[in-house]
Amino acid sequence: MYGRKGYQLVKDFASGEKGQLKPFNSKLFDETIEESRQNQRLIQSLMRKMEQEGLDVQNNRNADYYGALVHHLSLIRNKRCLMAYVHNRADIVRDLGWRVGLELPPEIQEKLTTLEKEYFKNHSAAIKSYMGKAGIDLNVDMVPPKDPYIKVRVVGDIDDGIVMSDKTTNFARHSMHFLKRTDAEPYIARGQMEELTG
Amino acid sequence: MASSSDMGSADFESLSSTSDVELLKRAWRNEKAAPEILPYEGDLVERAKGQIELVEENIEAYVENGIDPLVVSLYQMDLDRTQFLLRSYLRVRLLKIEKFMFHSLKSEEAESRLSEQEKVFARRCADDLAKHFEESVLRKLPENYQSVLKQSLISEVDDMVPEPHLDTFVACRSNSHFTLNLYEEGESTQTEEMYRGDLYFIRYKIVKGAIESGKMDLI
Repeated sequence: MYGRKGYQLVKDFASGEKGQLKPFNSKLFDETIEESRQNQRLIQSLMRKMEQEGLDVQNNRNADYYGALVHHLSLIRNKRCLMAYVHNRADIVRDLGWRVGLELPPEIQEKLTTLEKEYFKNHSAAIKSYMGKAGIDLNVDMVPPKDPYIKVRVVGDIDDGIVMSDKTTNFARHSMHFLKRTDAEPYIARGQMEELTG
Repeated sequence: MASSSDMGSADFESLSSTSDVELLKRAWRNEKAAPEILPYEGDLVERAKGQIELVEENIEAYVENGIDPLVVSLYQMDLDRTQFLLRSYLRVRLLKIEKFMFHSLKSEEAESRLSEQEKVFARRCADDLAKHFEESVLRKLPENYQSVLKQSLISEVDDMVPEPHLDTFVACRSNSHFTLNLYEEGESTQTEEMYRGDLYFIRYKIVKGAIESGKMDLI
């Protein structure tokens, strides 16, 4: 049935967890593209047939015209599905930039296609350039502040000697620190620190 | 600032509701709740930035002069809140631009709501996404179907552009007493009295004008 492949592709995206990327389904994607090309070939052959019969393609409403119309509708439906698939994935990719940071860790990078990585890089550059011109860093302060200082525990590996705005500290794994919230946020976003509450 | 005893609470209220921080809070709240991007509060953002810098300098001076750390941390907290408001305000706007980038660039009316830097950002965003679409999908489709904005060459209008849903319901509060036509243009001439302080749950489209003119606030 025409149009089913595209529908399956969208469904494949929708079945994923919200905000999480599944590996790009290139098999189904390519099959949908192939079906679209098939549609196009059939439209052209139907059009040619009508021309050979000496019929006016624009105004004649015979079986061949409606046949071509069905292929056209199937094609735009496939196009919408393909675009929706790529668009929704691109939404998540952009969202990662805000939630995780403008440098993605390798385990997330793995799930992106080459083109998506390229897109993320370009988009990050656009955000950075905006922040540079506006003179304000928008990637901190993601939640409303309660206290300027928070307690954190180091859970990942952090290189030694990172200079916080007021002092240098050794962030050994499992060590606890009392830090400025704005300093700690990037590490929390990357999962290298966790905030201790209560 | 300590309020002196002869200052009535009403005076204080009106004074505090027009401070830049309050105005920023209002702009931020409206922006957060509105389905579409609102006109950019350029002057307000510039003033807020200036004030943030000033307070930062003051705090540094306090630290150097050995003022009680508790007092300093109170100022710091206040500063952090203002900075959060400003950052969040700009961030919410960028997220909306990302969501409706093609729409934001389509009409001059939509584009005029953006700051200069936001326009640059929107254009870059749209170029990057269009490039991404072309490389991933469009290039592989038949020629007549390669447009980013149209489903196919025979579409008369741009029918592939996501637009904000202006029909969505929003919660809002009236700031003044005025009459509002609750219907879309031409549907009915019936109007409703809106009273100051009342809450309404209503379609965004209907109160759009009132929000932009400051007669109502989104909550």
